[in-house]
Amino acid sequence: MHPTHIEILFWRLGLLGHCVLLLVLLVRHRAKVFPVFAALIGTNVVRSVVLYVVHLHAGRVPYLDTYFSFALVDFSLQIGVVWEIASKVFRPTGVWAADTRAGTLILLVVCAVVALVIASMPAPPERRVLKDLLDRGNLLSSVLVCELFLGMVALSVQARLPWKTHAARIAQGLGCYSLLGLLTAGVHNITGLVRRLPVSHEVSVFREATYLVCLVYWIVTLWPNGPPPRELTPEMRRFLFGVERSLEYNLKKLRLLKK
Amino acid sequence: MITIRVLYFVLALALFTVVLLAVGLYYFVRAQRRKKYPYGKWEDILKRLTIVDRDSIEMIARDFTVESGRAGAQAVGPDLDPSEIWDLVGGMRGLEELEKNCEALVDLVFYVQQWYPEALLLAEQLRQSTREIQWRVARLKGAEKAGHLKDWFPEAAQRVVVQYLSMTHKVLALYERGGYPGLSELQRTL
Repeated sequence: MHPTHIEILFWRLGLLGHCVLLLVLLVRHRAKVFPVFAALIGTNVVRSVVLYVVHLHAGRVPYLDTYFSFALVDFSLQIGVVWEIASKVFRPTGVWAADTRAGTLILLVVCAVVALVIASMPAPPERRVLKDLLDRGNLLSSVLVCELFLGMVALSVQARLPWKTHAARIAQGLGCYSLLGLLTAGVHNITGLVRRLPVSHEVSVFREATYLVCLVYWIVTLWPNGPPPRELTPEMRRFLFGVERSLEYNLKKLRLLKK
Repeated sequence: MITIRVLYFVLALALFTVVLLAVGLYYFVRAQRRKKYPYGKWEDILKRLTIVDRDSIEMIARDFTVESGRAGAQAVGPDLDPSEIWDLVGGMRGLEELEKNCEALVDLVFYVQQWYPEALLLAEQLRQSTREIQWRVARLKGAEKAGHLKDWFPEAAQRVVVQYLSMTHKVLALYERGGYPGLSELQRTL
């Protein structure tokens, strides 16, 4: 199994991109704000190096074992990144709004069910159980990221939130890449087997190229500081706290009347 | 070979992607529109106004004013009975239309802010009046469910009409004072 020239090129560019992005995350202190995303990028750097070394000095079986192990970690971290970004976007103060908690939970469950249904549908193009599971896992995380991205777009428009925050930038890159991931999964299922048909191969190459573009996008957008948060003055905070308390009290009274 | 399972998967994926893109496009267009018209589009706000029979609501408002001032001034004027008020307002549907118009009136004043920022004060006053009207209409709906609408309707409807009429006067006065575009259309509609 010898990698093609284009695969080697993508490997080199990917490693370089991941290293630069990791450096940006560490130097500009973004890793503190997005620890799971930083861990995902760090894992990608380590994976690229380890897989290269294993490929050179070990056989096919150890290579596949290492590959699948890293893929499992990668999948877990992708789900973690979805949660990390969602919690930054949808609960900026660190707590869910009390009255929307039930609605948000229902929406989350619906999103997860849709993602699980789509991920369980494709016919396994691979014979290996682990590879099949990983393909489904990647599909699951792609659907979840797409849903998250859409939710973020809707919320930004509704609540007039800025599009230029770091969380939004990460979600934008992941969203575009995941959308393409869905299309790739569709093409792979139609053509039958990964990398056997020219169309399938071209789609994979296009997907890899898109990921490199996303890496550059993250490097460029995560380097500068994000827009300053709109902080409340202590007076406004106290006033809002009072309004919230009185609203809560009135709401309880109204609910009692309704009963 | 494409099996039925693959077909279902591709169809589900296509449906998901189309829904995703459609919802995304909807919000994108909305954001662009908001960027282009931060104060809303005049024609769209005006379209939201339902034409109301001004003579009828003025008659109801006059009756309410006469009723309120009768004790002191002993004024003589129209004295409407509950069924006449119901007909003149157009029942609950008529009140709901007034309620919707109130929201449009607030937006009409908000629109003026682009030339006259002080209009914010009037917008806030109208918003409070709208809240009061909404509260009265909601109570009437509650009374309708409980079967007491006839008892509550006349007075509540009169109050809503008086408040609505006062809101329209304020909006027209603001547009007249400032000489803002669209005054004649507004006068025709209100």
